[in-house]
Amino acid sequence: MEEKTTTRRKVLIGMTAGVGAAGVPFAAVPFIASWNPSAKAKAFGAPVKVDVSKMQIGQKIQVAWRKQPVFVIRHSKETLANLQEVESKLDDPKSLNIDEPYRDINPTRSTSQEYTVIAGVCTHLGCSPKYYPEMESQPWDESWVGGFFCPCHGSMFDIVGRVFKGVPAPTNLKVPPHYFDGNILTIGEERGTA
Amino acid sequence: MTQKPSGIFNWLNSRLPIVNTYERHLSKHPVPKKVNFWYMFGALASVVLIVQIVSGIWLMFGYENTEEGAFASIEYIMRDIEYGWIIRYMHTTGASMFFAVVYLHMFRGLMYGSYHKPRELVWIFGMTIYFVMMAEGFLGYVLPYGQMSYWGAQVIISLFGAIPYIGESLELWVRGDYYISGATISRFFALHVVALPLILIALVFMHLVALHEVGAGNPEGVDIEKHLDEDGVPLDSVPFFPYKVLNALVAIGIFGVVFSIIMFFFPEGGGYMLELANFEEANPLSTPEHIAPVWYYSPYYAMLRAVPDKLGGLVVMGAAIAILFVVPWLDRSKAASIRYKGNLSKIAMTLFILSWLMLAWLGTVPVTELRKTLSIIGTVIYFAFFLLMPIYTSIEKSKPVPERL
Amino acid sequence: MKKFILITFFLFSSAAIFAADGAPCGDYGECESFKPQLNKTESLQLGAVTFINHCYGCHSLEYSRWGRIAKDLDIPEEIFIDNLVFGQDVKLGDRMTGSMKSADAESWFGIAPPDLTLVTRLHGSDWVYTYLKTFYEDSSKPYGVNNMVYPGAAMPNVLASMQGQQILSCKDLPMIASNGGIRRDEQGNDITEEKCGYLKTVSGSGSMSEKEFDEVIYNLVNFMTYVGEPSRADRERIGWYVILFFIIFTAFSYLLFREYQKDYH
Repeated sequence: MEEKTTTRRKVLIGMTAGVGAAGVPFAAVPFIASWNPSAKAKAFGAPVKVDVSKMQIGQKIQVAWRKQPVFVIRHSKETLANLQEVESKLDDPKSLNIDEPYRDINPTRSTSQEYTVIAGVCTHLGCSPKYYPEMESQPWDESWVGGFFCPCHGSMFDIVGRVFKGVPAPTNLKVPPHYFDGNILTIGEERGTA
Repeated sequence: MTQKPSGIFNWLNSRLPIVNTYERHLSKHPVPKKVNFWYMFGALASVVLIVQIVSGIWLMFGYENTEEGAFASIEYIMRDIEYGWIIRYMHTTGASMFFAVVYLHMFRGLMYGSYHKPRELVWIFGMTIYFVMMAEGFLGYVLPYGQMSYWGAQVIISLFGAIPYIGESLELWVRGDYYISGATISRFFALHVVALPLILIALVFMHLVALHEVGAGNPEGVDIEKHLDEDGVPLDSVPFFPYKVLNALVAIGIFGVVFSIIMFFFPEGGGYMLELANFEEANPLSTPEHIAPVWYYSPYYAMLRAVPDKLGGLVVMGAAIAILFVVPWLDRSKAASIRYKGNLSKIAMTLFILSWLMLAWLGTVPVTELRKTLSIIGTVIYFAFFLLMPIYTSIEKSKPVPERL
Repeated sequence: MKKFILITFFLFSSAAIFAADGAPCGDYGECESFKPQLNKTESLQLGAVTFINHCYGCHSLEYSRWGRIAKDLDIPEEIFIDNLVFGQDVKLGDRMTGSMKSADAESWFGIAPPDLTLVTRLHGSDWVYTYLKTFYEDSSKPYGVNNMVYPGAAMPNVLASMQGQQILSCKDLPMIASNGGIRRDEQGNDITEEKCGYLKTVSGSGSMSEKEFDEVIYNLVNFMTYVGEPSRADRERIGWYVILFFIIFTAFSYLLFREYQKDYH
């Protein structure tokens, strides 16, 4: 038999294929969307609230959010005043190389003038840096003025989490979204997204 | 093609028989030119198989195959996973549609004598697929671990106990524990997800290879291979692609409408697909009022209950499925298709259909004296259809089968 | 051939075979009909309030999460938390695991009050609707009440203050003759007989009229139907589009099929 692809046939093939093809992305939606975090994951990844009123000056506490450690540090006025002095040692003092949510608002890098809120995850390979607030000479820096030292590969960060030059870590410690309501700090979302 | 195929295509084709396979199985594969809608159910069955595999894989992302977590994980899929409910209903609707399509496909086989020589092996592979499907459906139904999952499993596993001598040990061995528990769930999970699907896919492949070797039948029971053109192609055939593919496309469209109506508006199937008792977590201390299997097992369940003896019931049920395997040798008619068989075959077929439907209904309702009698009658008619077939297909007067379609 | 099938089919359809197997709603008989309206947000909201205030004290909704209800019922989160969430540490993402410890429950009621997330799917919404309306006074039971739909239920009549108390009473009903008509005596008056087992509300014992109470129960069961399957409204909405898609696809593929069929037909 003859098998000419007439215009009518071309149109019909096109229409059928078109309708079929149009259905494919819609059919794909449930299969792709079901991979998104489920309500259970979102519940566990939900924001965490912390009462910071009992924190002492110079104290660092650690809070878990999305299975990561988040450091909250309460600074003294002197420490904040000295932040500029260490900038010559820093790789990115203005946090231009990372996604800084609260850039240029406070020297603490957070939404508060007194507290710093940073992810305790070294930007090199993910270890948890240790807190060394005292201004005293350390094996890794004779003129240490306080900050974080990562024991895994020796990366150094200042007291508000900014990375030093010449260390394995490439960027400053990340600041998670957060807001303060008086003494209650909510980590994990911006104010008003509830 | 008037142009020479391009380089990469040639490279592939000289290493993998792409062109040859395409021509042999698609563009030049001859199929009878006149078939009716009954011939579409095979294609639909493969579509449902794919739907079940894909939706099944996706369900595994949320399902927890433990005694503690199974039931809750189904609700997790239904509520907490985005569009999880679509995937769940797709799978449960697909299971019922798989059986509906396969029953219609088998019925086509009985009606048109698709099992006649030279297609006996296609039929045998098909029956094996059916048997594996029944196991697969049972295993899958246990996984949500609702009340019906548990008690249905209890009933079926206890059937193993009916086998003399080895029965009790076999029961224990199948369960993996002294009672149905997490051990049972995890092994049923592995069998349902990996072992049986692999076997099923292999069997479907063999079923199709055997089919393509001898070619498809037709409603007239005409042997199209008897009249070939000068190239050896049957005169009463058309190439599979595009003609039968387009036919299948229409069938898939209609099937999609039916599937969607059920899936989106009647996913429980009136309690016959998703049994309502399964919306309660398995409770070994409390048996539901009636234990009934899902609709596609109900004819056999009715037969099981019709026989007062436990082992007897198991034997009858097994025989009901086993006898299907030997139909190619029971049918002595010269005509393959019911259209040309004698009146005895037509009466037998009618009685068979009615008794099967009656048994199917009886399997879903509680037993009464009247219903028990009807189950026995239904079972007798069912077996008579097969056991008497060598006789009535030989003695009846069949009409001469045409030469051409 | 067809006639033969039809005749045999009808022969099998006699009523005896299809006799009812025990009433779906226990001693009450047929359940009262309930049609959910899952798009009526106000009804669902009222139902949610009734549930939290009167049911959540004993019954959990363990597969359901707080936040999902707030979202699906269009209740702003602040209002939801203030009015419907009573635990201190409860976050919106948590599941509604209930207020009563099952060990206490068993000692108080003999059986832990079951989780109700799936009750409307297990028994049907009509069953639940009828159940909630058919408690009646029965001094032989531990909490003084029994239920017509689920005789021997251990649940107290939590909503008695709204519905009022119901008692089993007897009515004088006309006797039905064998031809279906009402039996009458020589003067033409109906002959009656006393039939018992009917529910009667003790007037003045409840704060609501029958109609008001029915509405409360309707909203409550509507909410419970929603909780049984929160995606149901979505399911039915999306379903129309999917079916439409397949109808259109079938139409085009049919035309295409017929066009090619001309080659050999």
